[in-house]
Amino acid sequence: MSAGKATGRTWRLGTTLLATVMGSASLTGCMGAMPIPRTALNRQLEQAGGNRDPSLGQRWLALIQQRGGREQVQLLDLQRQLPVPLPGLNRPDALPISVSSDADGERLAVVRQLGGRSEVVLYRRSLQSLQPIAMAPDTIPTLVNLRADGRQLAVQVSRNGLWQIDLVDLP
Amino acid sequence: MLRTPLLSLPLVLVALAGCTDSGPLGGASEQRRDPALSGDGRLLASISERQGRSTVILQDQSSGRLLALRHLRGHGPHRSPALSWNGRYLAVLIQQGMHPMPVIEDRLRGQLLRLPTPPGASVERLSLAPDGQTLALQLVQGGQQRVQVFDLSGLLEPDRAGGRRVSDPPP
Repeated sequence: MSAGKATGRTWRLGTTLLATVMGSASLTGCMGAMPIPRTALNRQLEQAGGNRDPSLGQRWLALIQQRGGREQVQLLDLQRQLPVPLPGLNRPDALPISVSSDADGERLAVVRQLGGRSEVVLYRRSLQSLQPIAMAPDTIPTLVNLRADGRQLAVQVSRNGLWQIDLVDLP
Repeated sequence: MLRTPLLSLPLVLVALAGCTDSGPLGGASEQRRDPALSGDGRLLASISERQGRSTVILQDQSSGRLLALRHLRGHGPHRSPALSWNGRYLAVLIQQGMHPMPVIEDRLRGQLLRLPTPPGASVERLSLAPDGQTLALQLVQGGQQRVQVFDLSGLLEPDRAGGRRVSDPPP
């Protein structure tokens, strides 16, 4: 896809969204301002290819991005609009399923498939460390949400065929 | 190992060095998925599936009490909730006709902000920044997943953590 086409589509999405919000503002009785698409950032995301599972920190965006035929976790600095390195997190034999960032972009919780099993890991960016989070043996983790202060993890699990949520306090 | 009880909810202990497990949430007849924690750890939003209905619920973690979400009633199925730092804002996808629509409930002002889906794109997931000033949408358009980011600072007051630095310290 060319940059021109990508820019056009980003603009169309943004302007349509803005127009609809303006139309609905009178119904909701609030504001007078509009959401602003982060055009340059959105263009960059679009040019990078497919991406999914966004998780916003204060100035960080974690997501799962398709790159070179496989998916990997990325962390973008929203102020600089640049990805930051995550050494030791992505590995070629692991498939990320869900990612969540804390407010500071320091901790990332990831559900990934490795060796045919789903596991939860906690990545600490300043330490470049990866800590496995042990879950109960009868559960299959499928989605994570990390509290903004990074001190608690909510994990969506499948247990006996039912969706449930496990909470894990983190040190 | 310590355990954080969640009142009458059933508990399962997970072997995890240095971490404390408080889950699972939800009784035998109810399924819970899509967890979202407020930054202060006080609230947990999730999707409750009961009798084929998917409804967002908001729970006070310390008391287990469910908090009312007046504006979202009758707009199911719901999915992909997200909370701001103090839980003032709850963003979630509701169903508008055939399409999911992102909305944000301002629990302080009792208002609902609607952010309709751009034509030709379907919203699959969303993420709200801890201060409520940025929204990320996962869209599907032309069969491809992509993430778009929007600035909400003109729409919503910040919902920041107490005592959290919002600017760089003076030199």
